[in-house]
Amino acid sequence: MKRILPLLGAAVILVVILTIFLGPYAWIVASSFKPQFAIFRDLNPISWGTFIPANPTIENFIHLFANRGVGRALINSAIVSSCQVLGTLFLCSMAAYGLTRIRFKGAGIVFGIVLMTFLLPIESLMVPLFMHVSKLGMQDTLVGVFIPWIASPFGLFMLRQAFEDLPRELDEAATIDGAGHWRIFWSIVLPNVRTTLATLALVTFLFSWNAFLWPLVIIQSPKNQLIQLAIAQSVAIGQLPNWGETFAGATIATIPLIVLFLFLQRYFVRGIALTGVKG
Amino acid sequence: MTRALRHWAAVIAFVGPFLFMLLMFQYVPVARMLWDSLWDFALLNPDKRTFVGLGNYLDLFDDPDRRQAFLVTFGFAAGVVLTVIPVSFLVAVYLNGTLPARAIVRAVVFLPVVTSAVVIATMWTFLLDPNNGLINGALVILGLPKLAFLTSKAQALPSVIGMMLWQQTGFATVLFLSGLQGIPRDLEDAARVDGCSALQRLRHVVIPLLSRTTVFIVVIMTVFSLQAFAPALIMTSGGPEGTTNFVAFDIYQLAFSLQQPGLASAVSAVFMAVVMGISLVQMRLLRTRWTY
Repeated sequence: MKRILPLLGAAVILVVILTIFLGPYAWIVASSFKPQFAIFRDLNPISWGTFIPANPTIENFIHLFANRGVGRALINSAIVSSCQVLGTLFLCSMAAYGLTRIRFKGAGIVFGIVLMTFLLPIESLMVPLFMHVSKLGMQDTLVGVFIPWIASPFGLFMLRQAFEDLPRELDEAATIDGAGHWRIFWSIVLPNVRTTLATLALVTFLFSWNAFLWPLVIIQSPKNQLIQLAIAQSVAIGQLPNWGETFAGATIATIPLIVLFLFLQRYFVRGIALTGVKG
Repeated sequence: MTRALRHWAAVIAFVGPFLFMLLMFQYVPVARMLWDSLWDFALLNPDKRTFVGLGNYLDLFDDPDRRQAFLVTFGFAAGVVLTVIPVSFLVAVYLNGTLPARAIVRAVVFLPVVTSAVVIATMWTFLLDPNNGLINGALVILGLPKLAFLTSKAQALPSVIGMMLWQQTGFATVLFLSGLQGIPRDLEDAARVDGCSALQRLRHVVIPLLSRTTVFIVVIMTVFSLQAFAPALIMTSGGPEGTTNFVAFDIYQLAFSLQQPGLASAVSAVFMAVVMGISLVQMRLLRTRWTY
C-alpha cells in the first residue's frame, strides 16, 4: 500500500497535466471535422464525442481553401518566413564574422549600437515603422513584412557566441594558405557552426510564421493575406464566427510547426531559451 | 595603404549590411516616433500637421483611458508572473522525479509555446465562450455554475491571465527543469544524510540554488506579458470597459482606428521607456552573483 499510493498520485497528476494541455488541442482538431451544429451538440454534455468526431467531414477544410483563400495565405506565409530565415542567416552570420574575425577600430561601438536595440519592444515601433516602410513604398507587400526584422540583434548575439567558441587556429592556418575573408567565412567558419545556424533558422521561422502585430499593420489586400491574419479575421469580434471553419484554419496553421517541433525538439528548446532576453 | 584599404573594405562588406538595416529599421523609426510624438496629425494625411510640443504627453498622463491601459498591462504582467512561477516550478519538480513518460509530458506542456498567439487566442475565445465553451461544459459536468469569463468586467482580465499561464507554463517549466538538472546530486544527498526531509531539501537546497533561473524566468515572463496584443484584438477588443485594454492594443487603436498617430507615438515612447527600464533593472538583478 505504501508503495502504491505515491505511484497512484503520480499517475493522477500525469493525467491532469495531459488533459489540461492536450484537451484544448484535441477539441479544436476534432471540431474542425464537424459541422457547426455537431460542435454545440457534443458539448452538452461533454463526452467522448466532444473529442472524437462521430461522422468526420472535411467540409470545413474544403470551404477554407475554396472560399477563404487559405491556400494563398499559406503560400504567402511560407514565402515570407523563408525569406526572413534566409535574410536573417545571411546578415547575422556576415556581421558576426566581421565582429569576431576582423579586428577593427570601432567594433565595440558597433556592438553597442546592436546591444541598444536588444530590449526594444516592437509594439512601440509599429506606428513609426508603418509610416517609414510606407514611405519606402513597401506598404502592403510581402517584402515589407519581413525586411524590417532580418537585421536581428538576437541572431547576431547567438552567432557571435558560436563564432567566438570556434578556435582561431583554424582560420589562421587558412590565412597562411592564402585564403581571403570570404573564403574563410564560407568554407571554414560557417560549416563549423551548422548547429547554431539551424537553431537560429528554426527560431526565426517560428517567430516569422507566428507573427501577428506587424503583418496586421502592414498588409491590407486579400492577395497578400498571411495565415495568422486569415485566422484572426475569422474570429473578428462583431462577426458570427463559423466555429468549425475557424478551428480548421487554426489546425492548418499549427500543424507545420508541431511537425517541425516534434522532429527538432532539442533545437527548439535551446533556441527559445536563448531568445528569452529578447522576448 | 592598399592593405588598410582592403581591411576597411572587408569590415564594410561584412558588417555594413547588417548595420545599415538595423539603423534603417530600428533607429530611424525610434527617432521618427520621438519626433512624431510632438505633433498632431492624421495617418491619412501625415504632411498636414500642427506642432504641439509636449502636448501629447500631457494628454497621455491626464487621460484616464491611457492610465487604465498602463495599469491593466502591469496588472496582467504581475498576474502572469505570480501564477507562472509557482505552477511551472511544481511541474518541473514533478517532471524531475523518476517518471517513465517524461519526454512526452515535456513535449506536451511545450506545445503551446510553439503555437501562435493568434491560434491560442482563437482557441481560448471558444474555450471561454459563455454559452458553448468547453470550460463551461466541464464546469457543468462538475456540477458548478457556468461563468461569464470574457464578457464580465471582473473575470475578463483573470481569464486572459489564465490563458497566458496555460501558454507560458511549458516554457518556464523547461527552464526550471534545466536549472534543477544543474544542481549537483551530492548536495541533495548530503542534505538527506543530515536528516533533511524532502520538503526541507526543497526549501533549503533546491530553491536557493534556483534563484538565478527564477530571476531569468521573471524577466522573460514580464517582457512577454507587457507586449500582449493578440488577446485584446481577438478576444475582447480591450473590453469590457477597458479592463483588457493592453498598451500595445491601445497604441494600435489610437493610431489606426482613431487616427491619432501623434498621441500613439507619445504612448509608444512612454511604453518603450517603461519596458526597457524594467528589463534593465531585472537584468541587473540577473547579473548579481548569487552565492551560497
